This record gives sequence, structure tokens and C-alpha cells, in this order.
Amino acid sequence: MAPLTCTKLSLITIVGVVTQIIGLSFFVFGFFPVKPTLPSTSGSESFYVPACDFVSNQSDTTLPSDQLKSSYQELSGIPPSFDRLILMIVDGLPAEFVLGKDGKPPNKQFKEAMPYTQSLLASGLAIGYHAKAAPPTVTMPRLKAMVSGAIGGFLDVAFNFNTQAMQDDNLLGQFFKIGWKMVMLGDETWLKLFPGLFKRHDGVSSFYVKDTVQVDQNVSRHLGDELSKDDWDLLILHYLGLDHVGHIGGRNSVLMAPKMKEMDEVVKLIHSSINQSQGNGQGRTLLMIVSDHGMTENGNHGGSTYEETDTLALFIGLRNHVFDYASVINQIDIAPTLALLFGVPIPKNNCGMNFPLYCLECDNAFLICIVLFNFPKMLSLEDSGNLTFTAMQKDKHLRALELNSWQLLRLLQAQLSGLPCRNFPCDAFYDHQSSGSTDCNHETEDMLCCLYMEATTLYTSWKSKRGFESASNKDYSSAAAAYYKFLKSASEWLSRRSTDKPVKLLALGLATMFVSTVILSSLMFCRLREIYHGGKQQSLNLNDSMNGWSLDETFILSVILILVSSMTSSSMVEEEHYIWYFLISTFYILLLRKTAQSLSAVRFQSSFFTQNGQSREGYFRMCFVFLLLTSGRVLRGWHQGGVNWTSLPDISKWLEQAGSQHVKSLQLISAFLVISIGLFALFSIESKGKCFQMVRLSFLISGLLVLLHITKYQDYTFSSTNYGATLLVQIIYAILGVATIGSVVALPWVIPFSTSKICPTDNTISPHFLSIHEKFPLVELRDSLYVIGWAYVLCWCLLQLLLQQPINTTPILLLLLQILAGTLYFARSGTHHKEWVEIAAFYYLGMAGHFALGNTNTLATIDVAGAFIGISSHSTLLSGILMFIITYASPMFILLSLVMYISMKNMAHLVIPEKAGPGDHLMMMLGFSCLVPLVINSILLTAYTVVLLLMQNHLFVWSVFSPKYLYVCATAVCTYIGIFIVAATGFYAYFVLDMRKQKPYSC
Amino acid sequence: MKEELEKNPQSTISSSQVFFIHVCCGLALAAGFWVAHHVYSLNLVFDPTKTLCLIWAIEFPVVILLFSCCRQKPEKCSYFTAIARGLLGLPVGALLNALGALALGAPVGLQYLEKTVNWSLLMSSFTFVPTACVYGSSWTDWRRIFACTKPNGPLEFMLCLPAHGAVIGAWFGAWPMPLDWERPWQVPSPPYNSLCLRIFVFTLSSYVSLSLMSKTGKDFSCYLCSFPCSNFAYLLDILFPFSILRTPFHL
Repeated sequence: MAPLTCTKLSLITIVGVVTQIIGLSFFVFGFFPVKPTLPSTSGSESFYVPACDFVSNQSDTTLPSDQLKSSYQELSGIPPSFDRLILMIVDGLPAEFVLGKDGKPPNKQFKEAMPYTQSLLASGLAIGYHAKAAPPTVTMPRLKAMVSGAIGGFLDVAFNFNTQAMQDDNLLGQFFKIGWKMVMLGDETWLKLFPGLFKRHDGVSSFYVKDTVQVDQNVSRHLGDELSKDDWDLLILHYLGLDHVGHIGGRNSVLMAPKMKEMDEVVKLIHSSINQSQGNGQGRTLLMIVSDHGMTENGNHGGSTYEETDTLALFIGLRNHVFDYASVINQIDIAPTLALLFGVPIPKNNCGMNFPLYCLECDNAFLICIVLFNFPKMLSLEDSGNLTFTAMQKDKHLRALELNSWQLLRLLQAQLSGLPCRNFPCDAFYDHQSSGSTDCNHETEDMLCCLYMEATTLYTSWKSKRGFESASNKDYSSAAAAYYKFLKSASEWLSRRSTDKPVKLLALGLATMFVSTVILSSLMFCRLREIYHGGKQQSLNLNDSMNGWSLDETFILSVILILVSSMTSSSMVEEEHYIWYFLISTFYILLLRKTAQSLSAVRFQSSFFTQNGQSREGYFRMCFVFLLLTSGRVLRGWHQGGVNWTSLPDISKWLEQAGSQHVKSLQLISAFLVISIGLFALFSIESKGKCFQMVRLSFLISGLLVLLHITKYQDYTFSSTNYGATLLVQIIYAILGVATIGSVVALPWVIPFSTSKICPTDNTISPHFLSIHEKFPLVELRDSLYVIGWAYVLCWCLLQLLLQQPINTTPILLLLLQILAGTLYFARSGTHHKEWVEIAAFYYLGMAGHFALGNTNTLATIDVAGAFIGISSHSTLLSGILMFIITYASPMFILLSLVMYISMKNMAHLVIPEKAGPGDHLMMMLGFSCLVPLVINSILLTAYTVVLLLMQNHLFVWSVFSPKYLYVCATAVCTYIGIFIVAATGFYAYFVLDMRKQKPYSC
Repeated sequence: MKEELEKNPQSTISSSQVFFIHVCCGLALAAGFWVAHHVYSLNLVFDPTKTLCLIWAIEFPVVILLFSCCRQKPEKCSYFTAIARGLLGLPVGALLNALGALALGAPVGLQYLEKTVNWSLLMSSFTFVPTACVYGSSWTDWRRIFACTKPNGPLEFMLCLPAHGAVIGAWFGAWPMPLDWERPWQVPSPPYNSLCLRIFVFTLSSYVSLSLMSKTGKDFSCYLCSFPCSNFAYLLDILFPFSILRTPFHL
């Protein structure tokens, strides 16, 4: 096999990476599809039995709105119970705060914060539910679910910052069609979802997370005005403040109780206004208070824990209710319930089981709420005579159930092509015998069909016997029970089911990824063989560990296997950080053992060689390993992380309990240390060129500015959206950007060709090198890469100091120390480790650091608050980039520091072919640094793709495995970017220096 | 091999001796468990501190007394010197073991201190004390046995294999098992419980296999064969975590 040339290597690598990206995108679009939704919107056809030929009568859309409204009422047979709706959304309010948990009342502090709401609940004027939200618990998908009843695709999270108009059938569209006037105050997400639907609106941005006061005042300031008007039918109030409070201070923030008090005042104001208007005969108004998602203990959301999915649905305006109710519903149930309450067709793609709350009117005197789970209890109440329904009410109830079943059946028909009762209305010869049997436990399709048929048959028989008082009661209850059974199983199936995935697309994506992994791995294997076996005769004089298969290599390889196998367990995905910490500290211990070996070897031989310098080297390396071990241990203890044991003590909790001044002082010390380490490295370079001075000066200035920002503005309990802070941060961004890019571009041009070395390596240039040195500026390349590497590291550190939460400043320092210790250790260890082992170890270090900064595999730990630092106007792209920088701080840090590592690594031992061109030399330096992370990343990516495919029917596929997959994809992107930067820097510096060398007069 | 043996006559040790030492150490371990379980009704899962304390208190005198008999250069070093070396090696080894455990994620804190100390004393009596008794502070020998893992002669195998078995077993025992099976031994941060159980399975198996080997075969390569055997025993431990974890020490 012909040896790889530099061009060939880079071309094949690029091909491999591009293939991988293509395969990944195939897979992602195949696996996270937008659900097959039914197009168009429900019209009057939803009040008829599902037609067999799907030809819907579109004539009603042309009707004027008031005619449409009355036609709906006529067809549905259920007069609306209310005339107007006020939908108040309190963003991020967990139901636990209002209703308590597990039958216990809420926390005393929260209970006292909402006296009015609590009194309404106690007196039965309000009914509260725990509405279970589906992950991802982020605002936009949750709003969509509430108004359409459909569970959105998983990728809606990704679009959360890029809201688009909602195309699917939804409640607001239905209301608009029957001529409702709508007013929206609050989160401008609504305006983006429903452009042009609102008569009046005042949108507030959800992007300034630090603002907790103004954001709600902007909603409430219109409230008195709107409530006195009677020209609207739907009023939406979306309060964001509580979510912002959570993001800043968590559930137990000092601002939480006042914020809840404020919400309570709003409820009181609205309710008294409703009572007044009801007195004036302005129609009945329903006030519904919902929250879109909950929040974790730290105030984040996005995942699927109980704390995040536990949302509130509170109905106020019912005059009375007679019995207690099952208090847990699904969030998607809100849509069909509202649709039936207000007499509009149920949205087409609704999966909700439409009857969590259905109000029957009893003589207009009081309303009885029939709740799904308590239906048997209601029946028993009826039997005992406490409650009687007229035939009329029973009819309405069953009719509503029927409408609901039709809607779900339509959806089932669209999603299940093999549904046996698909053509039921047409195929009259469908086997009715099966419906008689009570055990409907066949395949999904058969079961759903069977349940539906049973319910329909019972309803028909009830209708036929309606006149006769005798059997009617029993028929009614069995019909209703049958309907509930069907609705429940259909709804569960629809909301849980993994949608039909395009198998071909998935297979193609997986195969492409597999091919790219094979390409990259074989490329690396070739390189390995060329370097370590191609020149066996030369390497005989080297340490024998170079040729053998040593313990650390085996370990590094087995890490990949361990990771892949542990990722198949959902618990191990949730608690992935343990495995990383464990493996990386084991690797450090192996390094310690290796150092001990060489240390004693030196002692052993010292009598022959008396090389004191080398024995000191051994002690230095020992110190570095100890530094790695201790800083790794502290990093491990910094954030508890994970999902299940987050409450265990850790250093960050301990510091936060100790008080903010301790956090602040620690932050300042760490920031100062980080900056001084970086500046020390830059200032210890002996060269005195103008360019160097510029680089030093700009980093010094930006370091000072960062310190200024920390002392002056970074106060993390209260808002700081002021102009000065933003301006300062923007100035820092600008200086950092100019300094880094400037040094990358300019340094290769201005670095002096001299004999003095900048880069502090123990580079004992071998005879091989000396010959090459004449035609190739190796030392200069290393020197410039060394300075550029430091510029990257310092720039990244300063950015992180600015963006990360104050508590994460010390981990940044520790990470920097780890990188330095690792680089110095490997630079001094020379031939003891193979280069790919070292780079793989760096990659693992980066992943362990990723978790040490408090990241987990749930979407909840992404730091949203930091993503708006220094952004003056709302920009999705910029916030997204900042969020990426914060989340992938550690892996990116490692990849950037590879530039420094390359410059410091002793390459003297590498066997260079006799006829080595300069390109080969570049390949020698950059080859592994680029290949190893790409190979590891592609193996993990492909393996995890397989895991995700295997787990697609797992219970936790959407809550555990899919978020993890998003993280894996983002890690892949991070690796591509980092490797691109490393490679581009290396190539650029090399070509510039080569050009200068060939034309020395131009310098 | 033979040449080496002729060079170092001190390092030879008869197979019956090896067998006797291993059986005694194994019996001491078993006795420790027996006393803990039947006399004080303690076990590792629910009261690791006291159990560990009891076991090392029984185990380590036996180890010191037995291994001091095999001391190198007996003409220069008396039996009591060897015992003193073992006694000195115990805290030093415990310190190193504790540092290793901390690095692998053992929790730091006063409430965990006792557990860590007892655990590392026990680990030390498996790993450090025997070698300290035999070789004292000879850096060359330590390096050969532990850093390079190149033991030669039955004596060094006898020191090297159980020590490595204990360390590897402890490492596997510290393996993070954050599963939600609601078992008391798999709470993630203190890895002691599962860790200790596994060490014992591992060391016990290596003791047993070593003893068997030293009895049946006289060739030293059998020591090497015994190592896979103990690995196999450990494999059983992985395969049947419940049976192993719940039963052997509760019988």
C-alpha cells in the first residue's frame, strides 16, 4: 500500500467527515419526523360519523362566522356552557405550588402567597388539576400542545427559539373561524404562532431572563382596561415573570413568593370582574389558569422529571361542584375540553382524551364536573340518589363522548392504515360478534377497533331505548364506560406511539455514518501502521513500550467499548458523568503507575548515566499527574449532576449555602488566577516584536475588562440588563475577537526566523530533523503555533469567565490547570505514550470536564440565562451561539488547546521517511490531533445511533435517549468545528512560513 | 527460571508453605466474616464500618505473622524487624489506598472518614503489608513487583497476584452503578459496599486458586494459570450480581 501523502490524508478525512454529516442529517430527519398530521382543519364534518371516502364537505368554510357558529351549535347538540374565556398562562408554575403534592397541601410559604386562589379552591369555586406535560418541557411546544391537543415532534425544541406560525388545526383558529375577537397580552411567542389572529395585542419578549418585574407589568397594565371592555371573547394573558424568577434563583428564590402573590392579585382582579359582568348579564366567563411547564429545583426546565412536567390547570367560574375529582390529567386534554365547552370542532390532530372535565348544566343552578377517572364514583353517587341526571343531560354527555371518539377515530384512521374498522361505516358486514366479547386484548388495531365498536353499539342501543325509563340507566353507564375505555386507550396509544419512521432513510443514514466511521478508522489505522511499524528498524533503540501493546492503550480503547455498552441503559445515560469521572481518574492512576516505572528505571540506571536532569523530569511528571488527579477530583465534586441524585451535597451547593460573598470572592480569585496564568505564559515569551506586544496588550486589556465586569455587573440574584454591562461585554467580545483572529493571521508572517526558541519543549532535535530543518521552518512553525495556541486558550477562558455562571469560574480554572498539566506531562514524557493515546486522553478529559461544569444529558441544564449576556437586541442566532459556547465550554477548550499541545509535543522520535516532503511533516504534526477526536467521535456517534434505534420502543426514548442523542449530535458539531480550527490554523501557519522561507527577501 | 533460582536461593519457597500461608489468610478472612456475621450480626451492606474494622483487625495480624516468616535475607533481618516493617507498612499503605479511593470518587467528609480509614487499612493489609514484611523498603523490589508487574519466583508471585487481585477487584467494585433498582448497595457516591464485597470475591478466588495451584502443580507457570481462574471467578461475580452480593456473606 502506498504511503499516505498529506493531500491524500486530508482529502480522505474531509470526505469521511462530509459523509458523516450527510448520514447524520439523514438519520436525524428520519428519526425525529414531524408527525404525520392531518392537513386542513376540522369543520362541520366532525359532527358526523367519519365518512368512508374522506371527502369532506368544504362548503361550511365559506359560511360567515356567525352562521357557522350557530350551525356548529345545532350540529353538535351541545350548547356551549360559557360565552367568554380568559386564558391566563403563568409560565413555569408547577402545580405543586398551588395544589400540593400527593394529597398534601402545598408548602406553607406558597400557600400563603396565593390566599385568594386558595380560598377559591377551598370553597369549590375553582377546580385544579395536575396537568401532565409531555417532554420537552419548553414553552413553545407546550403552547402548541395546549391549543391543538397534539404532541409535537421532538425537534420542536430546536425550533423553540425560532418560532414559526402554527399551521395545524388548533383551538384559536377554530375560535377565529366562528368570529371570536381575541386579545393577547404577554409572551410574544403567541404572536409568532398566530400572526394576525389577535384584535389587540401587547407582546413581551421572553429573552431577557433577568428581568422579572417589567415583563409582568407590561401585561398587567392593560388588564383593567381590557376587563371593562366587552368586545372580546378570548383574552390570553401570558405571564413570564415566574419562569424568569425560577431561571435566576430556582424554586426557593426569595422572589418566588412575591411573584406568586402578584399572580394571585391578578386572579382576584379578574374573578371579581367576572362576577360583576355576570351580574350585568354580559354572559358567562370561564377563567382558566394554566402553566405551560414546571421547573426543577434549580428553576430550569426542558426535561421529563416530575418537577418539570407537573403543570397546573385551574378552572374558575364554575359555581359549584359536588364531588371530589381525580386531579391528574394530561396537558393535551385541555384542548378538546375547551373545544367542547365552547362548541367548536375538536382540532384534527388532537390526541387528548377529551373528557377530563366536562360540565353538565343542571338547571343552570350549578355545574357538575364529570371527571374521567371518577366516573364510577359519579355513577355510585347517582345510584345512591345523591345525584340525578335527566335523560337530556345523559344524552349530551354521550353525544360529547361520541364526538370525541369520532375525532380520535379519524386520527387513528390516518395513522393506522391497517385499522380493521377503517371502513366500518361503509362495510356494514363488519363482524359485530367480536364486539360482544368483553376481552378486547388483541393487537393494537384490533383492540382499538373492538373498543370503538363496543361503545358505538352500546350507545345505539341506549338511543333506541331512550324513551323507556327502565333499562336506560344501566345502558347509559355501560355506554359511557365503554366510550371512556376507548378514548383512554386511543389517546394513550396516539400520544405514546412512536411514529412510523421512514425505514429506508434511517437505514441509509446509519449506513452512511457507518461507512464514514470505517473510512476514518482505517485512515487512522494506516497512519498508526506507517508510524509505528513502518520503521521498525529505526525504532529499535526506542523504549520498548513504543512497539508493544501497553496497558494505557488497551485502556483507552476499552473506554470506548465501556461507554458504548453503558449507553444502552437509561440510568447510565442519566448518570453518564460517573462513568467519565471513573474512567478518567483510572487513566490518571495508570499514568501514575507508568511514571513510577520510569522513575525507578532512572534511579536504577542513574549509577551508569548520572543524568540528574532526567530524574528530575520524572519527579516533575509525577507532580503533574498529582495535579491532574487532585484537580480532577475537585471537578468531580463540584456539581452533583445527573438526574436521580442531584440532591446529594456537592461543592457548588455548599458554596451557595455559605453565601454569595464567598462565591463572589472565589470567582474573583479564580478569574484572576486564570488571567494571570494566561498572561504569564504570553509575557514569558522572550520575543519583543511589535505584534507580540499587541497580542499581549490586547489580552491584558480584555482580562482587566473581564475582571471589571465580574466585580461591577455580574450580580446573579437581581437583574442587570442595563446598558453599561451590555456595552462592556460587547467591547470585550470585540477586543477578544480582534486579538485572537489578528494573532492567528499575523503571527506566521511576523515571527522572526531565529535560532532562539519560544516554545519551551525539551526538543532534542534528532539528526533526522536537522536535515529537514534546512528546507522547512519547523521551529518557527512550532513557535507560532505555541503563541496561537495560547491565544486560543486565553480567549476561550476569558469568554467562559464572562459567560458562565459565577459558580463555574473555579471549574474553568481547574480545567485550565488540567490542560496545562496534561500538556506538560505529555510533552515531557516523550516516547512513553503513543501520540494517539494522549490525544484520546485529552478528548476524554474534555468530556469529563463537560459534566464537571454542571451539564447533564437532559435539556434542562442548558444555561439559558447566560445566552443573553452582551446581546442588545434579540437575535436567535447569536443567543444560540452563546448557548453553544457555554454548554460545550470544556470539549471545545480541549480541542483548541490541541494547537498548543502540537507545538509542545516532542516529535523527535517519529520516524520520518527518507524522502519526506514538507507536507509529510505537517501531516506528522497535525495528523493524529485531527484524526483521533474525529474517529472517537464517529465511533460514539454511530454506536449511539444504533442504540437509539434499538431503544425506539423504550419507555424513556423521548425523555432520556433522544435528549442524549441531541447532545451527541451537538458534540459531533463541536468536534467538527474544533478540528477545523486546529487544522486550518496548522495549514495556514505552515503555508505562510513555507512561503516566507522560499522567498526570504519578502520578510 | 532455574538459573535464577540458583542465583537467589532465598526467594525459593516450597509449595506447601505457599499453600499453608494462603489457606491461613483465607481462613482468617472467612473467620472475620464469620465473627462479624454470627457474633456481632453485622454485614457489609448495612454496617460497613464496623464489619470492615473487625475483618482487618482479624486479618492483618495473621498476614503480618505469616509473611514475616518469608522475609528476604533472614540472616540480616530478624523476625521482629520484619513484623515491625509490616506494622509500619500498614498505615503507609492505608494512606496510599485511601488516596486512590478518593481519586476514584470516594466521598470526602468527616462522616465518611471512618469508613474510608477502615477500608484502606483492610486494603493495605492485602496489598502493602505482605510485601513490606518480605522486602521492607527496597525500592527495586517494589518497583519490579508493583510498577512493572514482573515478579519472578513463587514468593513474588505470592505477593504480587493477591495484591493485584485486591486492587483490580476494588476497582471493579468501585465501578459506578447508578441503576435505579433501589438497592442499598448501589447508591452512587460511597462505593464501599459493592466495592468491599467484590474485593472479597476477587481475593478469595485468587487465594483459593493459588492455593490449589500451589498444591497440585509445582511449576511456577501455574501461578500464571491461576490468574485467569480468579478472573473467571470474578466473571461469575459480574454475571450473578444478586446471588453473589446477597448470599455468600449472609449464609
